Amino acid sequence: MKYRLKWLFLIVGLSALLALGACKKKAAPPPPPPPPPPASPTASISVNPSSIQAGQSASLTWQTSNATDVSIDGIGAVQPNGSQSVSPTDSTTYHLTAKGAGGSQEATARLTVTQAPPPPPPPAPTVTDEDLFAQNIKDVYFDYDKSDVRGDQQSSIQADAQFLNQHPSMNFTIEGHCDERGSTDYNLALGDQRASAVKNALTAAGVNASRIKTISYGKEKPFCSESNEACWQQNRRGHFLYTK
Amino acid sequence: MKSTETTANSLQSAAYRNTILMYPKLLLSRMDEADRTSSRWCGSKPLVRALVFLCIYCLLSTVLLAQDWIKTGTGLGVEKVRMAVADFKPATADPQNTALLKTFNDTLWNDLDVSGVVELVSKSFYPLQVPGQPPEVNFMAWNAPPPNAAMLAFGNLGVTNGRLTVQGWLYDVKNTQSPQVLGKQYADTASDPAARLMAHKFADEIIARLGGGVEGIAETQIYFVSDRTGHKEIWAMDYDGSNQHQLTHLGSIALSPRISPDGSRIAFSGLTKNGWEIMMYSLELSRMVSFPHMGGTNLSPAWSADGTKLAFSSSRAGDPAIYVADNSGSGARRVTTGKGPDVSPVFNRKTDGQIAFVSGRTGLPQIYTMGVDGTNLLKLTDQGYAVSPNWSPNGQFLTFAWVRKYGPGDPGASDIYLMDIASKQWVQLTHDGGRNDFPSWSPDGRHIVFQSNRTGSLEIWSMLADGSKVQQLTFTGHNSQPNWSWK
Amino acid sequence: MASAEIYFEHDRWGRALAWSAGFHVGIMLALLVYATFVNRHTGEGWGAGGGGEAIGATLVSTVPLPANPAPAQNVLANESKGLTQSQPKIEEKAPDAIEIQGKNAKVKPKKKQETASTKQAQPEPEPEDNRVAFGEGGPVSGPYGTFSAAGAKGGFGFTGGGGDFGTRFQYYVRGVQQRISENWLKYEVDPRITNAQRVYVTFDIARDGHPSNVRVEQSSGVPSLDQSAQRAVQRVDSFGSLPSEYSGSKVSVEFWFDYKR
Repeated sequence: MKYRLKWLFLIVGLSALLALGACKKKAAPPPPPPPPPPASPTASISVNPSSIQAGQSASLTWQTSNATDVSIDGIGAVQPNGSQSVSPTDSTTYHLTAKGAGGSQEATARLTVTQAPPPPPPPAPTVTDEDLFAQNIKDVYFDYDKSDVRGDQQSSIQADAQFLNQHPSMNFTIEGHCDERGSTDYNLALGDQRASAVKNALTAAGVNASRIKTISYGKEKPFCSESNEACWQQNRRGHFLYTK
Repeated sequence: MKSTETTANSLQSAAYRNTILMYPKLLLSRMDEADRTSSRWCGSKPLVRALVFLCIYCLLSTVLLAQDWIKTGTGLGVEKVRMAVADFKPATADPQNTALLKTFNDTLWNDLDVSGVVELVSKSFYPLQVPGQPPEVNFMAWNAPPPNAAMLAFGNLGVTNGRLTVQGWLYDVKNTQSPQVLGKQYADTASDPAARLMAHKFADEIIARLGGGVEGIAETQIYFVSDRTGHKEIWAMDYDGSNQHQLTHLGSIALSPRISPDGSRIAFSGLTKNGWEIMMYSLELSRMVSFPHMGGTNLSPAWSADGTKLAFSSSRAGDPAIYVADNSGSGARRVTTGKGPDVSPVFNRKTDGQIAFVSGRTGLPQIYTMGVDGTNLLKLTDQGYAVSPNWSPNGQFLTFAWVRKYGPGDPGASDIYLMDIASKQWVQLTHDGGRNDFPSWSPDGRHIVFQSNRTGSLEIWSMLADGSKVQQLTFTGHNSQPNWSWK
Repeated sequence: MASAEIYFEHDRWGRALAWSAGFHVGIMLALLVYATFVNRHTGEGWGAGGGGEAIGATLVSTVPLPANPAPAQNVLANESKGLTQSQPKIEEKAPDAIEIQGKNAKVKPKKKQETASTKQAQPEPEPEDNRVAFGEGGPVSGPYGTFSAAGAKGGFGFTGGGGDFGTRFQYYVRGVQQRISENWLKYEVDPRITNAQRVYVTFDIARDGHPSNVRVEQSSGVPSLDQSAQRAVQRVDSFGSLPSEYSGSKVSVEFWFDYKR
């Protein structure tokens, strides 16, 4: 019986609608509501980061509202809101135009592209004592089997003494070295004499002896290992080592 | 004439007798008178006879009865004994025998070969049957050609239940009456080092018997410097190069090891952050023991033969000089004066009253000797570059390294030399080139160990004190500054 | 005797005296001439080594090593190292000369030789070549050193009672020989001597091998040589303990030294 009831309602409803409709048709339709005045579109665009190096990319982000036609120069039509990754090779100004019923709006964002990597910031310009020492102190070279300072090394001694007197806070060690010929023990003793000779020459030139330590390495720690006179001369030396 | 002869013979003076015989005419002319007078003066023949018997009695009285006598002398060509060393035979059927036999036989052969006392007959001349027990010895097979041996060493070796037993004999194969010179038995737990040690002991017994009482060196040790771990450390090894093992672990530089006479400690020079100091390693405790730091550069320690004193080079007063302290490092006093680096002292092993050392006071380093108190300074070499002296155990010889012609630009080949201290005559021992240095005597006075770079790498070598039987002992890394133990 | 004869011949003493004196003076002069001229040795400088210079030469004292054996005569047993030996040998020191002439025999007055010829204490001179070839010589005189076992060579009776130590323990005798030869420093002898008579030194060896009672039994006539021989024995601490098979408490040794520069 419900089934029949449903059909009854339906027929009544439809006929009511028809009647109403018909009625309505006869009546003048109400006037459509007046369209609201169109809102002005808004637009904003930004690029992050604002400065990149050539080859890097930045993210371009824009927002608009009330716009139906949004475009960015150089890219083309875009969605009203969105973001895009860009990596131009040159500095670019991104010009966004948003057109809508309410008009159009523009926005720009500038992306700077630097061609060369920015130079690393130069190190702190303070020079350490150790560097000064290494730059200014000259080692003293010796003749074969000799531990006395030879004539042509006197200038080195004097220059070293001068520098050391100018920097009285610097302490150091003099190492005595020998070339590879000769016997282990004897070379250690000879190296000791060489270090002492340099120390004595410096103290005679006014350097305070308490700043100076000496040690001999004989032929145990050579500077080079070839078997020729050039290398041997390199190894026969009093070597300065900064010790603060 | 008879009485003339009597006259002549009773005269003790040979010269007088000769001159009389040279002048027969004189005699003849004086005969008559002489005959009568001398007869009367000297008495009768019985007196002469009495004199003769008296002399015989005197000679006979020098007989020491019930005493064995040996009569021998110099100039009789003392040569090396020709010895055959038969491979020892296995006494049991244990499988360990093979490897242990090889170790034993090789070690025994090598010990006798390098001893300097015997000449080993090559095994290719041996008869096919070698004895393992005394009854098996066939004398004629050994004392005749081809082996032509004077001595035979033989024996057997066997493992039973993990226990190794070795029996060895030394036979004089030319003396079939009483051939046995030595008969020895050794027993220990079966292992390779045990077999090696038994061979060393047997070889030492043989050498002591045949070498006239001088002990053999088969159980001695050599201490040296090796850098094979990356740092120069002190190592030790058997005298034949086996059993090389590390002693110090300083991680710095350790140089010039010297073992004490009683074998308990090694003195050496080590690099600290402040310089070179004398350091002491105890073999008994297997670790470093303390030794006072002196300051300056302290190098090349050396022990006196009685073990109570240490000599070394120290620059703590400015110039490297020789100091003597007691073996704990206290009481150090300076012994050399004057300029010039003084290093490498070494005591006279026989007397302890003398020290040999190296000094550069006249330029290139030379060898000097002096008393322990610094008196009596004597220069032994006068040219070239002479370093690293070492006294022989009998006190007669110094061995050292010498570049006789040395100068700037010279590549510096140095050789080992032997010098007789009293006469200052020397002999060159090495000739094969390279740089040879740091010789050290063996306790039997017959061998010298030294370092040489003749192969291109610095290694340790040994040789007999006449320069023969040169053998390389180390093969890994760079090895230097060997020091032979005292016993 | 001369003077007795003069007094006896009373009536002719004047002339006889003159003759006698003259001839005696002549003999004296002859002796003096003989002594000064015939026996002088040209002095050889001792190696110019005294002044502090080191000289290269063969050593005068002996490195304590026995010599290498003489080459075997048997072809089969020839063990020469051939041409591959790379180590040059230093020149071998000349072995002591084997002066076995009659003068090295013990000097005894001739009278004793006549009346006691069978009991002479004279060790026979060694044969000229001491080096017995290998494989020959038998047990008594091995190639490693000969010695005179008393019984074998003939001599005094006392050596007969001396036992057979030398025969039984030849290696020990050889060891004694070697140690003494090593320790004999010939440069201790006066450098002007080039030849000398044999010096005999006797000493005892105790059971532990220690020598004692060292004395010169017969001098060579050169004091420095006698002393150097004595010192050679005294330098040895021990020859090694006596063989355990030997029952005596000690052994006596007579050792001779032949010196020749």
